[in-house]
Amino acid sequence: MKNPYKILGIILSIAGAVLAPVFYFFFLSTPLTAVALSSVILGLASFFLSNTRPNISPEACQILLKTGMENTAALLEEIGIRNKAIYLPAGMRNGYPQAIVPIRDDYNIGNIKDKLSGRLIVRYGPDANDMAIAVTTPGSINLEMLENIPGPTAYEIESAISYILTGVLDIANGVKVNITDSRINVEIRNAKMGYEEIWYYYCLGSPLASIAAAVSSEALQKPIRILEEQEQAGKYRIVLEVLS
Amino acid sequence: MRIYNRLIISLAIALSSVNVFLAFLGQADISVYFIVNAIAYLIITLLFVYLNPKAKFALNSLSSIIFVVFLVVVTMEVIEILK
Repeated sequence: MKNPYKILGIILSIAGAVLAPVFYFFFLSTPLTAVALSSVILGLASFFLSNTRPNISPEACQILLKTGMENTAALLEEIGIRNKAIYLPAGMRNGYPQAIVPIRDDYNIGNIKDKLSGRLIVRYGPDANDMAIAVTTPGSINLEMLENIPGPTAYEIESAISYILTGVLDIANGVKVNITDSRINVEIRNAKMGYEEIWYYYCLGSPLASIAAAVSSEALQKPIRILEEQEQAGKYRIVLEVLS
Repeated sequence: MRIYNRLIISLAIALSSVNVFLAFLGQADISVYFIVNAIAYLIITLLFVYLNPKAKFALNSLSSIIFVVFLVVVTMEVIEILK
């Protein structure tokens, strides 16, 4: 019974159900009866919502996220890669959206093949040195939560990112997306997660940027790179680059 | 849990406002209060489009219960008017 929504729901529903007949028959007050009925409606809504929260605590989720991030960061640090990741649509990675981090610094984006093998170390171009590490990101996992793959318009991308960040993960209040030429500007209001100066975030982006990049890549069916991300006056701005 | 909090606070404000407004107008019919409250509930839950599928399903289940009661109340009102 630690769920606050369940407690609120039970208290409001029972109080409303008990008080409604009392107000109606003994006090002969219609407005007070209506308040009791509203309390029942509100209580039921709260009670119904209480069963939709995951059983796993936010602290446990944070531990799992941090473990995965630190393992990937250790791998990247060990190899010494400091390149920005390229988010690929599912179609280019055997039906599973992932990001690749090129090993060589002077990589050519134009060399990316249409389909890459589903391995950890992949060859993305014609040259023998065109090698990259393919990793699963928070954005890749979150794509599975979408009911439909969004279309290529800014509105559809915005709806999909909003759905994940505000509805499913509840880590932001709203999202705005603008597409100009090969740039996608994503503005997130009241984000709960921010940017940290760590290796993982530099290469793969923060979880917010990762989700925005993975959704955009899937929507446009093109590789995407996170150009920059910054927090400004309660808004989190992410600039993505569409690669072709 | 902020989106759930926003939904519950929005519902509480809307339902309270409806009751205060109808009381201010001197409305004495309980079915009118229920009908307006039900409409306010249905509108507000519809506006929260970004809820996760489980929450949407739960709220839709409650919406269908409220809608059925709403239909019963409206039908009874119509029968009374026709009498």
